[in-house]
Amino acid sequence: MFQLQNIIPHTLKDRPSIGHSDIWGKMVQLNPSECIKITAPSGTGKTTLIHFLYGLRKDYTGSILYQQQPLSHLSGEAIAVWRQQECSIVFQDLRLFPQLTARENIELNRVLQNPYCLPAAVEEMADELGISHIMHQPVFQCSYGEQQRIAIIRALVQPFHWLLMDEPFSNLDQANTSKAIALIERECKKRNAGMLVTNLDDDCFFNYTSTYHL
Amino acid sequence: MRPLNSILTKLIRNRAGKVKMVMAMVALSAALLLLLISVQLQVNYHQLLNQSNGSDSIADFLVINKQLNNGSMSNTTIADAQVKQLAQQPFVDAVGVLTPSHFKASIESKSSSFPFYTDISFESVGADFIDIPGVKWAWQEQSEFIPIIVPNQFLDFYNFQFSFSQNLPQLSTNILKMLVFKVNIYSPKGAISLNGKIVGFSDRIAALLVPEEFMQWGNKVFANQEMTGISRVIIKTKDPSNPALSTFLKRNQLTTETQKMRFSKYRKLVDTIVAIAGITGIVLLAFALLIFMLMLEVSIAQAKPEIVLLVSLGASPKQLSRFLMRQFLPPHLIAIGASLLVVGILQKILQQVLNNQQMKVSAWLSPYTFAIALGLVGVVWWVNKKGIQRQLY
Repeated sequence: MFQLQNIIPHTLKDRPSIGHSDIWGKMVQLNPSECIKITAPSGTGKTTLIHFLYGLRKDYTGSILYQQQPLSHLSGEAIAVWRQQECSIVFQDLRLFPQLTARENIELNRVLQNPYCLPAAVEEMADELGISHIMHQPVFQCSYGEQQRIAIIRALVQPFHWLLMDEPFSNLDQANTSKAIALIERECKKRNAGMLVTNLDDDCFFNYTSTYHL
Repeated sequence: MRPLNSILTKLIRNRAGKVKMVMAMVALSAALLLLLISVQLQVNYHQLLNQSNGSDSIADFLVINKQLNNGSMSNTTIADAQVKQLAQQPFVDAVGVLTPSHFKASIESKSSSFPFYTDISFESVGADFIDIPGVKWAWQEQSEFIPIIVPNQFLDFYNFQFSFSQNLPQLSTNILKMLVFKVNIYSPKGAISLNGKIVGFSDRIAALLVPEEFMQWGNKVFANQEMTGISRVIIKTKDPSNPALSTFLKRNQLTTETQKMRFSKYRKLVDTIVAIAGITGIVLLAFALLIFMLMLEVSIAQAKPEIVLLVSLGASPKQLSRFLMRQFLPPHLIAIGASLLVVGILQKILQQVLNNQQMKVSAWLSPYTFAIALGLVGVVWWVNKKGIQRQLY
């Protein structure tokens, strides 16, 4: 369970729009297994929020608690274990290693901890999202749509209780988006995990339990 | 290789370049070799100096007496307080008193085929200061014979001067040890004869040595003059070349054998050479480790974007540190192992060479050398660990 206690990013604190936000400067609780949508126009801090929740940035006032523990107080080792076991992410900018193959990018996240799923399960996911044929290719040779699907599979091969996704389908067509949604829903259900999705517009990708406007 | 490591190897390569790596390895190996050789040489040298057979032990023992000049004639006793003061000096490990005989004595051959007679005097010293292994250095009135240690110089004097002038046969040490001599002691009350036997030859003290018990008994029963104080002492010292020792002797108007002091100069020379080798080794090691450290830092700095992304994805600093240690530590360990092996081979060769010259050193590396090598493993481990931690945390 995440608890957001009056967090305000340093970069946005002087903007008048902060006052109208459902998140910034408010007490918000994100309960386990919830499916949460964060919607807002560009430049209002969606990626910033994702990075705060994932513990990548600490440039905010207020606190973010996970299971009653302030995220900002976790050591380097503790945050690594937390990311390996509790929280997975699909970055907006994907953050893949271009010199590694698609398979190696996914495998890396699978073996960072005791593997949650078998290599065969990875191949099944790749097959489901239609990227089996590029699994041996270095990522820099893949299209952006293919890279987005690699990033999604990479996020799903590890254990997690929360899945954070920052505009995860921005480069996918309708058919591939549907396949990705089905896979994500199944994997989250398997783990009884919550998910938090940011998007520019209103969407009906998932059955959201809460929607917040930044 | 574990799957994570094989992927990490692709992301974080050793980017220092093979030539630089080989050069750094050569420098490190040379440094380790110098260090380990200097330690092993020092151990060998101490082994030679402290051999129990005493064949090369003169450097550690010095016989000390008062300087004899026109002013100090008949006044050469060393005061008890001065002996005590000597014993308290840090450069003195032990002090033993050499007691001279205060009675007239002679020895003569019991064999008519080897007629031999000479007046003689003895000196006694404690068992701790003799260098003849396996000898029972004690005497009682019921003893079969008086054990006597003869200086090698005396034997040389007999064999190469006296025997020619007196038309006597030359004698080997083995023959002399088999002979039983008559030891005559004279006093105003009369003379008595005892048996004496040579139990060994030594270079340590230039006197006919007998056990302290015999000397106490002889001086008590037969002394023809009043017993005076101590005239000579023997000291055991780790470093006869210690300037503090010569200063102390000079200040107290004491003197010792210059020949032995000359030996100490060789020791000082060897110590200096070993120290120079050791210091050069340490300096070289420091430079070699610095080069490795820089190479490690360059490699990590060049892989910084990958490391940042790995950490973002959940790679722990411990995981990365472990991986980097596996990448960078083995060349160091190989260098240490190879240096140890080379020093081991050199030691084996040295042992054979010295053995041909009747000098005994161990064929194996000393525990100190192994301990230093182990310490070096610790040092390179620590240097690598610190270098990696500084870059990662």
